[in-house]
Amino acid sequence: MSIDTHDQHVAHEGHHESPEVVDGRQRLAVWLFIGGDFVTLSALLFAYLYLRGVNTDGHWMNMLGYQGHTFGWYENLAGSAAGLPAPTLIHVHPLAAGFNWLVTLVTVISAGVVWLGERGLRATKNAKSYSAMAWLATAVVAVAIVLTIIQLRHIPQIFVAKNDSHVMAYTTYSSAMLVLIGSALVHLLLLVFLGLGLAIRSARGVISGEKWHQARLVRIFWVWVALSAVVISAVTTTVNTIH
Amino acid sequence: MTTTLEHSAPKVTSKAGGLARHQNFGTALIGGVLVAWLAWFIARRVCDPTGSGYSDLTAIWLGIGWTVGFWIGIGAFNGPLRWIAGRDHTRADDLYYAGEGQGRARYWKYTTDHKVVGVQYIVMTMVLLGVGGTLAMAIRTNLIAPGNHFVNQQVYNGFIAVHGMLMILALIVAVAGPWANFVMPIMCGARDMAFPRLNALSFWTLVAAAGLLLTTLAVGSLDSGWVVLAPITNQVGVAMDFFALAIVVFTVSTTVAGVNTIATILTMRTKGMTLERLPIFVWGSMIAAALGLYAFPYFLLVESLQILDRTVFTSFFVATGGGTGWLQANLFWLMGHPEVYVILIPAVAALFEIASVMSRKPVFSYRTAIAGMVGLAGLSILVWAHHMFTTGWAPTLGGPFMLTTEIISIPTGVFFLVLIGTLWRGNIWMKLPTVWMFGFIANFIIAGITGIYLSDIPIDNQLHGTMFVTAHFHYVFVGSVLFGAIAALAFWFPKVTGRFLNEFQGRISFWLTFVGVQVTFLAMFLSGLKGMPRRISSYSILFEHTNLISTIGAYTIMSGMLVLLGAIITSWRHGDPSGPNPWHANSLEWMVSTPPPLENFDVLPVITEDPYTYREELVRS
Ligand SMILES: [Cu+2]
Repeated sequence: MSIDTHDQHVAHEGHHESPEVVDGRQRLAVWLFIGGDFVTLSALLFAYLYLRGVNTDGHWMNMLGYQGHTFGWYENLAGSAAGLPAPTLIHVHPLAAGFNWLVTLVTVISAGVVWLGERGLRATKNAKSYSAMAWLATAVVAVAIVLTIIQLRHIPQIFVAKNDSHVMAYTTYSSAMLVLIGSALVHLLLLVFLGLGLAIRSARGVISGEKWHQARLVRIFWVWVALSAVVISAVTTTVNTIH
Repeated sequence: MTTTLEHSAPKVTSKAGGLARHQNFGTALIGGVLVAWLAWFIARRVCDPTGSGYSDLTAIWLGIGWTVGFWIGIGAFNGPLRWIAGRDHTRADDLYYAGEGQGRARYWKYTTDHKVVGVQYIVMTMVLLGVGGTLAMAIRTNLIAPGNHFVNQQVYNGFIAVHGMLMILALIVAVAGPWANFVMPIMCGARDMAFPRLNALSFWTLVAAAGLLLTTLAVGSLDSGWVVLAPITNQVGVAMDFFALAIVVFTVSTTVAGVNTIATILTMRTKGMTLERLPIFVWGSMIAAALGLYAFPYFLLVESLQILDRTVFTSFFVATGGGTGWLQANLFWLMGHPEVYVILIPAVAALFEIASVMSRKPVFSYRTAIAGMVGLAGLSILVWAHHMFTTGWAPTLGGPFMLTTEIISIPTGVFFLVLIGTLWRGNIWMKLPTVWMFGFIANFIIAGITGIYLSDIPIDNQLHGTMFVTAHFHYVFVGSVLFGAIAALAFWFPKVTGRFLNEFQGRISFWLTFVGVQVTFLAMFLSGLKGMPRRISSYSILFEHTNLISTIGAYTIMSGMLVLLGAIITSWRHGDPSGPNPWHANSLEWMVSTPPPLENFDVLPVITEDPYTYREELVRS
């Protein structure tokens, strides 16, 4: 391989790469991470649809056990003089579609705020107002997180016998919802971290009208998270019950 | 042209690096143990009201605590926290993280220099292979005679599972870890990987995962085989939790490494290093990284779902709750088959490199070689159900999956074509890397052909779950990948150490290992053909002779590996000096001094032709 070490043009590159070059590299990395995340999301939805498809023994939304709300509720029942009745088939209802879409809407709004903030930053070069937008987006994500936790707590549980004791268990529908919502929660927590970073960094001038590239990097991932929330809602609110 | 590019050291201020000045493997261990203990202490009270301390949920929190504590202790969170605070690294900080002026200590730290990471991976691979190999010897010793009880059956089952998974992890990193880190960025003409800190993260995350995996040996037996299919995992205690979490953590490592590798190759190439001029090993690294990026999310998911089933009583794989083991089998093998090629492709690509340099001919049909690797990667995602032919899942898909599996022999055949075509009528230089390469070619033929047998459904119905399968994939992993990995080690060893890997010891090791592989695994094919099931700890007298032969062969492999280990250790310090370009190769890693300086190039080179145009008269030593 011939190499020419006397090219003056490249002599001073590399140690000080231009922000555009670094940005291009980082954008590729963000897209690659999104690619990996896309496979994970697809596999999650595959698991959801597969479990619904096989519906082993009709257990997609039905489970043999005891209906209950808290561990204490069950303890009382088990400890009462009457003792435990025979387990019955408990039917689980799909999670409220409206609430599901509400969480998704809040997530989408947070992505919109980040996007608008970035456009503003690039147009007006005003880092202070960008910082405010980043704080706002983070706050909106915090709301989404609270809603997601509420949603997680509404996943119906059923008491079943397991290893000489009784535990709260999930039908396959509830199981799949648990992991889908849980994965959304992990993504939202990541967005809080990124949002705080954008807000603090722009307040400190590390992100500015000239150095806006990281705002776009984060926005790309943020929009992806919002998009995946839409996909999850679309699938789980339209395809859930079995007739 | 053999140009040695000198390097002048930049100044470093004394306070650079911040917290990282106090962090190393020791603080990582302390952090890991401390946070693990803390997590266990809290989880025991919150999640385990019976107070036994050994519930699955407690075990998971303990494992998460270990990982997070390890990350804190090694310094993985320094960068993200500085990012969020808007206090980015200065150039001096970066140089500190790159290990400048820290001598040997930098090998124990969160060091970003790709060459340090490469060496860390070499050592890590050897540790993993060493532990996995020791387990293999225990297994083979147990199988030396029918009814032998060298280890008890429970422990035996655990050894089978941990041996399998450790070796898989070891081989995933065996070629890509050392060489896609140490030499690949230099081959591209880059000063480092695209994301040096992610590089350190991927390595140390692997260490944390290995810690979790080894813990399974200490907390009861993982008696479920390495594929840990539900519902058999129901019988496993907390060992299964540590196993599943180890995999989850491991996938973080591979994902980060994969993104980094691809980004490096696509964006860090120097001027004139077009994609057509890339050394073929770089292509192999990129294709394997992309395949890993596709495959490992399934692994992450399947083991996460296992954890949820075991800790919060979801029903993904629990039939009584509506779940199905088929879901797990599908998710596992959606990962499992591509993973084989994540392991194989870098080894094959390294051998293309070696074949070209050692025969002084260009890589035969360079574009076909790339197409072969891409084709293999692409097809490998469409064959997973061949692992499930006998499970009863979707029998109607048996035909299509048999077809895709058999089509895979086409890109595999391309590999032979390229290797043989490159060597054909070349003036072959029989040095250590070449010798191991020929071993690969011989073994890979057997590995490939027995694979075609297994892809055939009627034959698979007979042979599934027998030692025939075990022998087949040991020809793939030991006979092929390990041979390729050792060839790569022998080839690039001089670039790392400035010394040759001892030729004489290396050849003794080769013959012991090569003969040992044939003895062990040809006999194992016979055991399988006679119907011996895999994974069992004692067997019928029917399989007596072939098992004895396999055990003798295994000890032969072990002696070969010990000779190699001795050669590596002694040659590292006392081997014959090699100079910067012992094989008179043309690719960039041989143009820099040995060992390559920090940041590799003072002035980035400009490339004007591919690395396989050999002009210089070869003077062989
Ligand atoms: Cu396969």
